[in-house]
Amino acid sequence: MNIIQRVITSILPADPERVTEELFRKKRYKRFRYSLFWAMNLIGLIPMLLTASLGFFQYRDLLQRDELDQLQWNMEGAQKTIEAFVHELQAVVNFVAHEDRYHELLDQQNLQILFDRLHKQYPGFVDLGVIDSKGIQQAYVGPYNLQGKDYSHQEWFSEVFAKKVFISNVVMGFRQTPHFAIKVVKKIPGTNEHWVLRATINAETLYHFIETINTQASDDIFIVNHDGILQTPSLFYGKILTPYPLTAQPPPNGQIRQMIDSFGKLIHQASVPLKNTPWVLVLTNKGYSYGNHWYSFRQKLFFIFAGCSIVGLLITIKLSKILTERIRESDEKRHALLTEAEHTHKLASIGRLAAGVAHEINNPLAIIDQKAGLIQDILEFGGDFDNKDKVTASLLGIHNGVNRCKVITHRLLGFARRMDFCEEQVQINEVLKEVLPFLEKEAMYNHIKFNLNLQENIPVFYSDQGQLQQIFLNIINNALDAIGHDGEITITSQVEGDSVVVGIQDNGPGIPEEILQHIFEPFFTTKETGKGTGLGLSITYGLVKKLGGTIQATSKLGEGAFFEVHFPLSL
Amino acid sequence: MTKIKLLIVDDEIEFASTLAERMELRGIETQIANNGQEALEKVYFSPPDLVILDLKMPDMDGLEVLQGIKALHPSIEVIMLTGHGSTASGIEGMEKGAFDYLMKPVDLNDLLEKLKLAYEKHSKA
Repeated sequence: MNIIQRVITSILPADPERVTEELFRKKRYKRFRYSLFWAMNLIGLIPMLLTASLGFFQYRDLLQRDELDQLQWNMEGAQKTIEAFVHELQAVVNFVAHEDRYHELLDQQNLQILFDRLHKQYPGFVDLGVIDSKGIQQAYVGPYNLQGKDYSHQEWFSEVFAKKVFISNVVMGFRQTPHFAIKVVKKIPGTNEHWVLRATINAETLYHFIETINTQASDDIFIVNHDGILQTPSLFYGKILTPYPLTAQPPPNGQIRQMIDSFGKLIHQASVPLKNTPWVLVLTNKGYSYGNHWYSFRQKLFFIFAGCSIVGLLITIKLSKILTERIRESDEKRHALLTEAEHTHKLASIGRLAAGVAHEINNPLAIIDQKAGLIQDILEFGGDFDNKDKVTASLLGIHNGVNRCKVITHRLLGFARRMDFCEEQVQINEVLKEVLPFLEKEAMYNHIKFNLNLQENIPVFYSDQGQLQQIFLNIINNALDAIGHDGEITITSQVEGDSVVVGIQDNGPGIPEEILQHIFEPFFTTKETGKGTGLGLSITYGLVKKLGGTIQATSKLGEGAFFEVHFPLSL
Repeated sequence: MTKIKLLIVDDEIEFASTLAERMELRGIETQIANNGQEALEKVYFSPPDLVILDLKMPDMDGLEVLQGIKALHPSIEVIMLTGHGSTASGIEGMEKGAFDYLMKPVDLNDLLEKLKLAYEKHSKA
C-alpha cells in the first residue's frame, strides 16, 4: 500500500495550488524589483537632469549675453574708428576746398599740385574735380577724361547744396572701379553762387581700413548703404556692390538683431548708421551655438550626464537586485520559521493526543490481558477438553496482541511525558560507541558495515546520556531498516562553531521529498503495518529538541538519507 | 506456610477482580478495593501482607492511600501500578515507602516476582 502511494505521488505533478502560489510569489518579487529600480532611478535621475539642464541653460544665457556684449562693444569701437577715418578724409577735402581757392583751383596746374599732395598723403584719392554751380566740371585731375562733364542731372548735385558736405555711396560710375566721392560745397566769393570740390576715393581704402579693425567678437564686418548694397565686401554675404541679403538697418531700439541668414544659420547682427555718411556699419557673428566653447561644453555635459546615468543605472540594477534578494531571503526565513513553529506545535499537540489515547487504552488493555491470563490459568489448572489446543493458541495470540499494544502505548507515553532532565558530562564519541554494540549484531546479520569517522578531542558537554543514546539508537536503527541488506552506514562527529555535529549517512534507497516532510511526525511510517509504530523519529525529534539541539534530514532518492544532529556545547 | 494476604486496589473493577481471581488460583488470599476509602477500611479491619495499588483513582490519589496504609501498618509492603508511564510518580511513591512500581498493563510473572520479593521483606520485618 505504501509502495502504491509512493508510486502515485511520484507520478502526480506537484500540488497545483502550491505551484501557482510559488509563481505568484516570484512575480511579486519581480514586480517589487522593477518598482524599486524605477523609483531609485527617478530619485537619482530627476535631480541630475534638473542640475544638468540648469547648467545648460545658465551657461547658454551667459555665453549669449557675453557674446552680445562683446559684439556691441566691438561694434562701437569699429564705429568710432571708421567715423574718425571718414571724418578725417572729409576734413582734408573741406580744408582743401577753401572758399577763395575756387579760381585758383580752376587752373589745371594748381589742381594737379593739390592732387599730388593729397595723393601722397592718402593714396586712396583717385581724382579731384571742381564743379561750378551749373554742374559742369570745370577742372579735373585724375586718370579719366572727365573735363567738362555735366553733373547737373545727377541726384547728388541737388542734395549737395543742402548738406554742404556730401559723401556718396560706393559706385562703379565711369571709372569702372568701386569708389565713393566726398563733395564739399563752397561759396564763390563775391557772388551768391556755389562751387563744389569733388574728391573720389577708391573704395579699397575703406575696405582695407575696415580690415585693420579688430574683429575678435565678430565673424564678419562690412558696410552697407541705405539701399542695402554692400559698400565693402563681406566674407559671407557677397562682393562689393552686390545687395546684402538681410536687413542692415538696426532695429529702432538699437539692439542686436538675432536672425536666420541666407544659409539658414542663426546669426547675431549688430549695425549702426555711420554719422555723416549714407552707410550702415554691420557686424555679424554666427552665435554661440557655433562657438567652440559651446560645443565643448555641450559635449562635456553630455558625457558627464550619460556617464552618470549609466553608472546610476548599473548601481540601481544591482542594488534593487540585492535588496529584493535580501527581502526574499528574509521572507523565506520567516516562512521557514513559521513552518517550523507550526510543525513543532503540531508535534506537541499530536503528542498530547497520543498520550491521552494511550492512557485510555491502557486500562481496557490491562483488563483484556488479565482476562486472557485468567482463562489460561483456568485451562492450566483444569482438565482437558475438545479443542483445548486451539483455545490455548488463541490465548497466546491475544497475549501477543496485547503485548504489541503495550509497546505502542508505552512508547506513546514516553514520547509525550516530560522526563526529568538528568544532566551529566557527556562525551559524544563515548555515547556513539556505547550505542553501536546494541546494533552490531543486526548489522552483521544483514551485511551492513559501520564506518566511524569521529573527530578526536571533542570537548565534553552537559546533556542526558541516556536520552542521547536513545536518539542515536533510533536514527541508526532507522538507517538499518532503510538499507535492509548489504550496505553501509557512516557515522561522523565533529565540532562546528560552538556545537557538536553528528552525521549519520546511510546508502539505502533514500526518502522521497513528500515523505521527508513528515518523517518527524508521530505515527508516520513507511514500514509495513505491524513492523513499526511510526513513533521512533518523532520521539527522537522530541528528545533532540529537549536537549536543546536540532535535527535535520536530507535525502536524495537512490543515494540514501543523511541525518544531522546538532547539540550546543554550552547550554 | 501461611497464605500470603494480598489487597488489590484499583478503580477498574474488572481488572481488580480478574487479577484477584488469578492470584487466588495461585494460592494467594486476595481482597479487592475499588477506591482509596475502601482500601483504607480493609487495611484497617483485616490488614493484608501486601498491597497492589493503582496510583490513579477517581476519589483519592494513590500516593495518599499509600501514606494512609503506611501510617496504619508500616510493615505492609505496597507495589504500585502506574498507568501513565511516569517514572517520576513511581519514584515519588518509592520515596514515600512503596516497595516497587510496575507499569500497566503489567505482566503477571513480573508481578508475582515482585510480590515474592516484597513478601520476603515483609516476613523479615
